[in-house]
Amino acid sequence: MNDKNKALLLWQHTSGYRGIFSVAIIAMAIGYIFMFAVPLVARFAIDAIEQGDTFVPPSWVEAMTRLITGSTESGLLQYLIAAAIATVVLTAIAGLFLYVRGRCSAVASEGIVRRLRERIYSHLEHLPASYHDRSDTGDLLQRCSSDMETVRVFLAAQIIEISRALLMLITVLPILFALDIRMAWLSLATMPILFIAAVVFFQRVKNLFLTVDESEARMTTTLQENLTGIRVVRAFARQSYETEKFSARNAEFRDENQKLIGLLGIYYAISDFICLSQIGLLLLAGAAWVYQGSLTVGDLFAFITYEGMIIWPIRHMGRVLTDSGKAIVAMGRIAEVLGEPVESQNETDPRQPLSGHIAFDNVSFEYEPGRPVLRDISFSIEPGQTLAILGPPGSGKSTIAQLLMRLYDYHQGSIRIDDIELSTLSRKYVRSQVAIVLQEPFLYSASVRANLRVGRINATEDEVLAATRAAAIHESIEGFPRRYDSMVGERGVTLSGGQRQRLALARALLKKPPILILDDALSAVDTDTESQILTSLAEARHAQTTIIIAHRLSTVMHADKILVLNEGAVAQEGGHDDLAETDGIYRNLCEIQGAIQDQIDADVREFEHERLF
Amino acid sequence: MSDFFDDENYNDGFEEDSYEHGMNLDLWRRLLGYTLSYRVEASILGVCAVTTAISEIAFPLITRAVIDQVAESGAALNYWYYGSLYMGFVALLAVSVGGFIWFGGKLRTHVSHDIRADGFANLQRLSFSFYDFRPVGWLMARMTSDVERLSNILAWGLLDLIWGCTMMLGIAVAMLFMDVSLGLIVLSVIPVLAWISLKFQRMILRSAREVRKTNSRITGSFNESIMGVRTTKAFVKEAENLKGFGTLTDTMFSASVLNKIQAALYLPLVLTLGAVASGLALVFGGLEVIWGTITAGTLVAFLAYARHFFEPIQELANWFAEMQMAQASAERIISLIESEPEIQDSADVRSRIAAPAGTAGLALDGYHDRIEQIRLEGVSFAYEPEHPVLKNVDLTINQGENIAIVGSTGGGKSTLVNLICRFYEPTAGSIRIDGVDYRERSLKWLQSNLGIVLQSSHIFGGTIRENIRYGRLDASDQDVTDAARRACAHDFIVAMEKGYDTEVGEGGSKLSAGQKQLISFARAVLADPKILIMDEATSSVDTVTEKQIQRGMRELLRGRISLVIAHRLSTIRDADRILVIEHGSIIEAGNHDELMQVQGRYHRLYTQQSLSQFTKESRSWQSAS
Repeated sequence: MNDKNKALLLWQHTSGYRGIFSVAIIAMAIGYIFMFAVPLVARFAIDAIEQGDTFVPPSWVEAMTRLITGSTESGLLQYLIAAAIATVVLTAIAGLFLYVRGRCSAVASEGIVRRLRERIYSHLEHLPASYHDRSDTGDLLQRCSSDMETVRVFLAAQIIEISRALLMLITVLPILFALDIRMAWLSLATMPILFIAAVVFFQRVKNLFLTVDESEARMTTTLQENLTGIRVVRAFARQSYETEKFSARNAEFRDENQKLIGLLGIYYAISDFICLSQIGLLLLAGAAWVYQGSLTVGDLFAFITYEGMIIWPIRHMGRVLTDSGKAIVAMGRIAEVLGEPVESQNETDPRQPLSGHIAFDNVSFEYEPGRPVLRDISFSIEPGQTLAILGPPGSGKSTIAQLLMRLYDYHQGSIRIDDIELSTLSRKYVRSQVAIVLQEPFLYSASVRANLRVGRINATEDEVLAATRAAAIHESIEGFPRRYDSMVGERGVTLSGGQRQRLALARALLKKPPILILDDALSAVDTDTESQILTSLAEARHAQTTIIIAHRLSTVMHADKILVLNEGAVAQEGGHDDLAETDGIYRNLCEIQGAIQDQIDADVREFEHERLF
Repeated sequence: MSDFFDDENYNDGFEEDSYEHGMNLDLWRRLLGYTLSYRVEASILGVCAVTTAISEIAFPLITRAVIDQVAESGAALNYWYYGSLYMGFVALLAVSVGGFIWFGGKLRTHVSHDIRADGFANLQRLSFSFYDFRPVGWLMARMTSDVERLSNILAWGLLDLIWGCTMMLGIAVAMLFMDVSLGLIVLSVIPVLAWISLKFQRMILRSAREVRKTNSRITGSFNESIMGVRTTKAFVKEAENLKGFGTLTDTMFSASVLNKIQAALYLPLVLTLGAVASGLALVFGGLEVIWGTITAGTLVAFLAYARHFFEPIQELANWFAEMQMAQASAERIISLIESEPEIQDSADVRSRIAAPAGTAGLALDGYHDRIEQIRLEGVSFAYEPEHPVLKNVDLTINQGENIAIVGSTGGGKSTLVNLICRFYEPTAGSIRIDGVDYRERSLKWLQSNLGIVLQSSHIFGGTIRENIRYGRLDASDQDVTDAARRACAHDFIVAMEKGYDTEVGEGGSKLSAGQKQLISFARAVLADPKILIMDEATSSVDTVTEKQIQRGMRELLRGRISLVIAHRLSTIRDADRILVIEHGSIIEAGNHDELMQVQGRYHRLYTQQSLSQFTKESRSWQSAS
């Protein structure tokens, strides 16, 4: 996408706010016309004073004076009072218009950004899981926060700054040339130099700004790593090593930043020099012409005042234009996300609940082309049955679960739920029928209760309690300082891995889905609690089809059917008793884990034997 | 990312509002110490501020002289004289501006560096109890945005204070010098201007803070939506999340529009007040010119000054408001830098460490550098007095003993270990190492003899090699590989694309939970500690891997004290002694056989895990359906 297209894109997103933006710019133009009238008033007043009784004002000045002072006389005093009142009134009117500008541009820019934020938020949630796999969280977050901020500042400040500089020039130039052509040319003498110098300078230091940002980010990351790992730091008594590491980053940020500020110092010194020399030039040349009599003192005053008003925004332009360039880039990065296609959403939605029959038929799947994760998988589960999936890491266990959730689209083979092809069902419908619990579940930073209610928003208190009891987490929650109202996450209670898993399980149970998937979901739960949970799951067994993915034999052995995966293919399939008899992976696992269990059995028998006697 | 931590959402009891009235000068004096350690730079900065103000005041005076000469005296203008005078001040101003930005920048960056360095150093000393109540995000906010805000005040605020005061004083003197009565008339606007500025600046700052706060919540919300996208999809929460996000963006919209409206009101008000001053100067000055008491040039100078003096007032009002608002930050930073760790070496230990090294083979605190016995006598511990976690625990651990600790969650297992590591100290009773109370020994000595593998193992960003080497910084590559072999991490490491030089990502994000644990295990192996601590260290590895680790473990535990907290009892069968801890007390102790004999809690836990137990359950499973 080239810059022009990016700018066009930003333009598209301003629809609905263009009117109010125009009002802001028109108000600003009117405001500056009034603002520029003020030095003219002072000019007439000074000339009137200077020339004393010989001063012959234009007829409109006289008319205005009569109007303002309300007296029929038009002496010097009347001129002065009229000038003073006009100065205040004109400034106040200009102020009023500038206020309108500020208000309108705020509403417009904040409104546009609000819409953009909501759009990207909603878009992110509807992008397919495969997109989130590919993209880096930090990078996405940066697009949503700092890139968005860059665009916001552009809309709120830089557009206004640019229009301000342009409007100022447009309105002031006619006045200057009307006052005195020689002085007008002279007051523009250094402006091109100033403008070009500013733009060139800020283009040059653009990279330095980036370097400073990067070194700050490195410093922050080091700090954060130290603080999150403080227990490890202490455990190895590495305080001085850490301090050294941080010092280096801290000093690096200081030095880069100082270098940048130093360069800015040089730039501002030079540009101040140019600006003030420009005013000095006007003063001396003007003074010479006043001496000749070809310029009045009032004119000189007006020129110096105008120059002071317009030269500083020009000096500022370099910075503004560079930042605007950044805004275009930022907009491009936001547009990139918005341009990604979202998940398909127009499949059918049968509306009645599923019974829970699942059939995989020769399903193959790959996340990246050429690296198949599932090969020709076929199996089926009857409603209410329990299927256990076992296999070494990377054998494709979780992929089966993800496909069932329609988080990914399969292209080879067929998956049918209740005899309907999965890919013809709407994602929302499928997901409302399946609940999944992951090994490292995600909990929202909200209260425990709110996290549970994610399962079903209108669940009654009794249903919540039933779910937490079934997941064996109720007692732990009762132990939290604010029980069910405790906040989860950094600002509240810190949950152990097992507690997180059980909370996620309770959340899933609350959903009462026809299909429940536990993806290694009890790995951090101790065996005591695990057997408790499995028992309560068994009680609810008739209600749902269950898929359990696990490492421990104890978890999987009671399933109706066990599927052993290896390198993406079904290596073994059957009940525990059959598989334990057959040569293969399952029996090997039984032997490893069985050795431990045999030991336990032997111990127990031994001691029970002793007790008998 | 820094705006992510610019976060005032962490409620920590320091209420911003309570600081808004009145200034805690003592606080600022302490912080000013950071500025004053750069005396030379601060002095140059002050001089530059003054010369900047002086040159700015000089220009209207030169203009006045020029106009008077051409308009009044009728004499030809001495271009060289005025030209070089004017350019001299231009040069002075340019040099001063360059100088104050340069030195101000130096001061600002150095001050923030120094505050951060002190803060960091103290954070490394503070006890774990300090961290228990302060989330990482809170600490990050203090160390990043608070420090930046304060160093801005301490450098640029100081500059503007000197510049603004000189400027206002200079303008006032110049006006009164030119004409006392006209000067007083024009200056009469100043009190109103100052009052309005202060009011508005405070208002604007407060709403700006609201904007920042909302902004960081929006960033947090984006973060959550990205991290939890699968869960959101799984529970079909998209619409609801968007609704929640919508209220946030609404808040953001009204907060930032309010902030801009305040600014849009302030500027016209100030401009109009400036116009009043100009108007007054015009009427009274004009009359005086006609009467001949002042010249036209003086009038022009007055008009120029009337336009100029609102600038320093605006700046000063802004800094004053900023300082009032930043007092809470100042307080928090000071407390971060000055809080004393609850656990630290006693004065006696420090003096012994400072004493010249004695005989070889002694630890840095003068005692023997070995641990033959750890003895807990009547040890109790409570985070809050009404909820004791450990009650009157007696325990003796001898050199080479492998201790396993089992019991329910929350029973006090981790606390016992934390006390032995002296991450916390007992609230009653004592812990003795070879007969000496460990409070009489060096903290650093004890903790550098520890090796710890935690339940959720923290991995630092960087390569796998760097992470393992954290255990012993001077270890050779060969040592690292050996340690990884013993921890059974070697195989998966070499299978990775770049082997030991693989970048693990921030917080080890590119590794699985099991891999992280194996690496932290290798790290502890490399440290070759006198005391090895493992806290449920094998919970996330699959059975096959766990088996491998255990083989290495047996070798590793030999000859040193070890404390292993584990849920899977099969993993600790070989321990020399097993402690069963429930409700803060050791209820059973002994080796596996002894405890099985007792038929108590351990026996129950152990049999629960047995295969036969599951057979019984499977019957209940089937009968349930």
